[in-house]
Formats: sequence, C-alpha cells, structure tokens
Amino acid sequence: MPNIKDHMPVIIMSGLLIVYGLIVQTGALLSVMKYLHTHKSMDLQVTLSLILGGLALVGALINSAKKPGNTIFDRFFLQPLGGVVMILIMAMAIRWYLEPLVKIMSASLKPVIGFKIYKVLNLNYVVLGILAGVVLTNSYGIPKFAEAGVKCARFVLKMGVIMLGARYSFAELAKLGVYSVWLIGFFVLGTVFLVLWLGHLFKQPKSMTGVLSAGMGVCGVSATVAVAPVVKARSTEMAYTIGTILSFGILCMFIFPTIGKLAGMSPVQFGAWAGTGILNSAQVAAAALAFNAVDIETLKVAEIFNITRVLFLPIIVLILATWFGKETGQTLSFKTVVIDKFPLFIIGFLLLFGMSSAGLFSPPSHYKGKYIDVSYNDRTQVTAEEWDTLNKAMTAGKFTSLKPAQLEAVEDLVKQRQIAGDYDDRNDKKEFDKVGRARLVQLQGVLAAAKAKQVSLSKDVKSAIKHAVKQVHKKSKTVVTLTDFMIWFFAFGLIGLGMQITKKSVTQAGGWPIVMGVISGVTKAVLSFFVVLWLVKDVVLN
Amino acid sequence: MSNDEKNITIETGDAGKGSSVIAESANTEELEERALSVFASERNEDMTALIFCLITTFLVLLFTKWMV
Repeated sequence: MPNIKDHMPVIIMSGLLIVYGLIVQTGALLSVMKYLHTHKSMDLQVTLSLILGGLALVGALINSAKKPGNTIFDRFFLQPLGGVVMILIMAMAIRWYLEPLVKIMSASLKPVIGFKIYKVLNLNYVVLGILAGVVLTNSYGIPKFAEAGVKCARFVLKMGVIMLGARYSFAELAKLGVYSVWLIGFFVLGTVFLVLWLGHLFKQPKSMTGVLSAGMGVCGVSATVAVAPVVKARSTEMAYTIGTILSFGILCMFIFPTIGKLAGMSPVQFGAWAGTGILNSAQVAAAALAFNAVDIETLKVAEIFNITRVLFLPIIVLILATWFGKETGQTLSFKTVVIDKFPLFIIGFLLLFGMSSAGLFSPPSHYKGKYIDVSYNDRTQVTAEEWDTLNKAMTAGKFTSLKPAQLEAVEDLVKQRQIAGDYDDRNDKKEFDKVGRARLVQLQGVLAAAKAKQVSLSKDVKSAIKHAVKQVHKKSKTVVTLTDFMIWFFAFGLIGLGMQITKKSVTQAGGWPIVMGVISGVTKAVLSFFVVLWLVKDVVLN
Repeated sequence: MSNDEKNITIETGDAGKGSSVIAESANTEELEERALSVFASERNEDMTALIFCLITTFLVLLFTKWMV
C-alpha cells in the first residue's frame, strides 16, 4: 500500500467511528445520552457510526492501494471521502453533543438572564455548523485530505433545500383570513423589493442583495439557506445575512414589547406586529411572551403571522430565481430567464411542496408535519383514571365557573372520552371535524384560563384535559423522517460552507449588508407598526 | 486558450491551490463556482441533487407510510 501515509487520517477517523458505534451499542454512554436528551437517537448513532466508519475504512484502503484515477467512482466517492467523513463527524458532534449542551447550558442560565440564549441567538445546528466550519478554516485550515470533500457542501445543501419543501403546505394559508394573508404578503414582498432596490442603489453584488432580501423579507435563517444557492451567494454573504438578521432580531425582541405597551396596542395588534416585523421564530415568540405572558392570544396571533410569512418562502424563491436569471441573463427571453437560468433543484423544492400540499406525506393542512386529528378513535381516548377524575369533578360541579362553550366541551370530553365531533355525525366529515376542532379550542381556552388563574382546577383535572388535547395533536412520521434527512443535509452543507469563510473574504465583503439590513428592517418595523395600528382591530383569524 | 490572449494570475486562497493563471476574458465567477464543486456543471449538480432527493422521498414514503 504505497499511499497509506496520505490516507492515515481517514483510516484513524473511520476506526474511531467504528469504536464509537460499538461503545454506544453496549449502552456505556446511556447515562450521558440521557443527560443530553439524545438517547432516542441511540440506534441512529450506532447505525450511522458503523456504516460510515466501515465505508470510510474500505475507501481509505482502496485509496492507499491504487493511484488516483479520474473515473466517476474516483471523482464522486474515493476523492471526496476524507472530507465527507470529516464533515459528517463534525455534524454528528454538533447534533448529538454540542447543540444539546448549548441548550442545557442556556436553560440553566435562564433564571439569571431571563431568556434562553440558544433560542434568542438561534444557536441551533445551523449556526453552530457554520461557526464550526469558520473556526476550523481560520485556525488549523482545511486539511489536505478533506479538500475534495468540502466541495460537496453546496450540493448537499441543495438536497436539504429540496427536502425543506416537504415541511410546508399550501392549505395552511387557506386557514387564515384573506385579510392577514394580504397584510403579510404586502410586507414580505415589500421588504424583498426594498432590499433589491437598496442593493441596486448601493451597487452591491446581485448574490448578496438576493440572499439578504429573502432573509429580511421571509423568515430569517431558513430563507437565507434556501435562497443562497438560487442566487449563487458566497458563503460569506450567507454568513453576513444570517448575522444581520439575528442581531437585528435581538434588538427588536427587546424594543418591540416596550413600544407596544407605550402605544397601548391590544394583544392581537401586538401579535400581528411582532409576527410581521421580527424575523426569527424564536424571537417572535419571546417578544410576544414579553408583551403578554398570561394570555396566549398574543403568542398565537404572532405565531400565525410568522407561519404565514414562512409559507411565502416558495413564492419568494420563485421570484428571486426569476430575478436572478433575468439580471444575469444575456437576453431577456422567456427561455433564458425561466428555462436556462432557473435552478433545477428549486423545481425539486416546489415538487415536494406540491406533494406536501396534496397530502401525500400528511393531511394537507399540516405544518411541519404537525396536524390535528379529531376523528373518532379508541387510541385518542383519555385513560380510565383520567376519565374517572374528570367525571368526578363534573359531578362535584367543579366546572361551573367555565364559560358555557367551555363547559359543553368538557361535558363532551367526559361523554366521548376524547376530543371529537358528535359520534352520530361521523359520516358528515366536514361537520364532525368542525365540531371537534371547536371543542379543542374551548379546552385549550380552559387550560389557558387555569394557567392565568381565572378558574381554579385541580392538578389531576388539568393534566387529564392536557392529555386529551395532546392526543389529537398528531405528527406525520413521513414528514418527521424527511425533516431528519433535511437536518443532516443542512448540517453537512453548512459546515462545509463555513469552511469557505476566511478572514480575507469577510473583510472583502465590507459592511454594506448590515446597512441594507438595518434600513429595510427598520422600514418594515415602522410601516407595519402603523398599518397594524390602523387596520388590525381584533379579528384576524377566520 | 489561444496564445495571443492576455493572461492574469489569480490567488485562489488557502482552500484552493495557491495561485492559478487564467485568461483575462475568462468568466471568473463561473470558474470560482466550479472550483467549489465536485460537479462539472451547475445543471449536473442540481439534477443529481433532485434525483437523490426523489429516491430518498420515495424510500421514506415506502417505509413510513405505504408499508406500515
């Protein structure tokens, strides 16, 4: 084996992976995994470590024994192998150790600083992955054996973007009032075009402007990641955009609740404003809770606005793909713009979005695989003990302080032992579903009222209602699995892209993205403040 | 590249191979893009990603929905 010295790092990494897989299989790390809440992924950890370790070992031995060639097997498997294994090990370390550790540490810091750092700074695998790549490339540098593998990052990231389409569904939009869709659509598109215009004004590269417009207009980090390959953004531009969005969001998170209170906004108005003006989902939730921690109405409205904004992502991707094709095209014919320049992988994203909207993965009304199922089913019943608790509380008149609709929902829960429509109406699916969902809303209202101490219910009764509510909230296994694939693709792609961010490239990009981000962000926040105050009264939902 | 065409030397950075000589009229953006990928063209990269994802989706549907 003449080349074994060159491939020694890969052989060592594959050996370590196999040893790690075997140790996890013996259960020796179970207590650590339970502490980190990663024990549910134990089987995955064993399988992935052993398969990857085995493949890497075989590949490294073949590489050691033969001269480098130029066949497809060489170019797409043997040469990138070292880098792919290295990035995957980093992704595993982040997903199974670093991210859970950051979560635990920020949870323990919450009593001191008042909020969870990992949520506010968005320190999930996306940001941690980029940071890990940046740290490695700017400290030790990319090892020689990993150079070809790092070049797979953009390709894998594109696979992640395609998978992202499975998480959203068009039917979710139909649930909202036309009014709020128009409001959000106006601000999303308005911000996108404002940033594109600012980019033109400040003579910024098209790729930078494109990626920043999606980030500022839609939903922050995931939009940035999805649009980056569409407008061929450099890794540095992506990192800049994510940094701008997150730091602007942190400022808004603290300022919004104060301004909302000073302006005397209603819970619904503030929810609509935060959901429109703040970009990151966690920051939206934090601002809504800071404004009104007791009543969940603010949070609910803010989340609905936030979700709707995310649902505009496919539309924005289409617009930006066409815009970028047009800006970089030689001639402005339909063929050049839409067929030649349109990124093929975006068709994949739209295809999965279409499949998801058609209900292939989950009922069409799902969002990120979560949906409500109020059909009559033995498996969604409360337990015998819970039913007994509710029945006794009902007989003892413990629910008299509830509103009539809430009382009716609890009575029906006792009668049917689950949240559902009327059994006699089960053949009329539409009516059955409507009644069941209305009962769910009333029971959620009971729990919120109990939390706000407006009604007094025993711990057991609350727990029984909570369980009944939980039983009708389902998760599609298909979407969960597709999301898992997406997470791994993103983790891999972003670590690789992070490795392309050198100090030199950061200084070359300059500070314009921040200027453009702040101008568009402030404009959106101020405009949406007045529009919400003027237009949004109380009714937002259908 | 013809001999009478002007050439320039570019720095390809730490992750690249030091410096390279290219034609002044070359599409540097395209070259840079390709230097960061294992694929010969953008279309190949996109097509491969699309096919891989469709196969993955089919397998996920098979094992989590159709065969359950």
